Amino acid sequence: MIQTIKLVFSNFMYAVLACAIFVPMLIGLLILSEYIFLEPYVVSHLPSGTEFGFALIVILSALSALVIPMNVFRINILKSSKQKMSGGIFGSIIGAAAGACSCGPVGFAVISTFGSVGATATAFLTNYEMPIRILAITILAVTYFTTVKSLKVECKINQ
Amino acid sequence: MNKLVIVGVVVVAIIAGIAASISSSPTETVNLDMGRTHGIISTAMGSPILGNPSAPVTIVEFGDYQCHQCYNWFHNTKPAIVSTYIETGKANLVFVDLAFLGRDSPKAAQASYCAEDQEMYWQYHDILYNSQEPKIDGGWANTERLKAFAFSLGLDMELFESCLDSGKYSKRVQYNIQQARDHGVRGTPGFFIVGPDGQEQLGGAQPFSVFKQVLDSMI
Repeated sequence: MIQTIKLVFSNFMYAVLACAIFVPMLIGLLILSEYIFLEPYVVSHLPSGTEFGFALIVILSALSALVIPMNVFRINILKSSKQKMSGGIFGSIIGAAAGACSCGPVGFAVISTFGSVGATATAFLTNYEMPIRILAITILAVTYFTTVKSLKVECKINQ
Repeated sequence: MNKLVIVGVVVVAIIAGIAASISSSPTETVNLDMGRTHGIISTAMGSPILGNPSAPVTIVEFGDYQCHQCYNWFHNTKPAIVSTYIETGKANLVFVDLAFLGRDSPKAAQASYCAEDQEMYWQYHDILYNSQEPKIDGGWANTERLKAFAFSLGLDMELFESCLDSGKYSKRVQYNIQQARDHGVRGTPGFFIVGPDGQEQLGGAQPFSVFKQVLDSMI
């Protein structure tokens, strides 16, 4: 597993891609979930009772930054199918969407724009924020292990 | 003669229609300071003032009783603001409804004003935020539970139920939501800190340190 990660991220381009996914995703989700505020001062805040949600955001961002570059590597270098890539993208998107549509600006804009349909969608994404994020992490974890397995086979990495 | 009869019948029908519409719609007896403003925000339809009404700074909070970030602010930031600024007379607070998250949100806001009729607004406000459950429209703020909260506070249930069931304060809540939209509030909780020399807008459940910096600069 370590060898597979080394194989992919020894290429500078994929390390940069991982950072380009991790940093904006983490900061974006932390802003949306109100762990970071930019105005009137830049300040971070971890209210009691929200530690689990914070941990899920970090895991989600880290897994997205791991899985997506590995799949891009498979497609670019090994000309593999794009099927596993969709798992990584899908997991990242649903994980990011959960909780984004809540009391904050995104939720208010969605409800203001789409009315009762937006309100229903927002309520669903807010009510099931944690289960959806856990599901997204599961999808990303499964995608990660299947990607590592296929890279081992395709690149003939010794166990 | 026939024309006169027809005109008479039409006039009677119009008067009867107006009388019927007036008697069927719930009357909204608003006993408020209609001119109350803080900065450029009309808070006339908002909550009673928490703290000293003549404090130099007013915190206007736009919130939703089903919003979990409002719950976070209520439990993590508000206690320090109350003890440091409101109880010492340096600031006061007004809550204005931005009840947008679900069908139970406007009803919960209306219920708070029904409690205000019996001078228990802030007690009811606190019980709502202490009883909030994570699911929006999950039933914790449905009509029955809102009445149960009133009962637990010892309110006159006949008065409270007739107020809530009649929708007496629905227009008041709608007015408050419109105030939020008019002033660019994009989510809950949203705040305006209004001081003698101007106002500052804060978005989200920001920590006490941020409020302290803003408030101290205004006092």
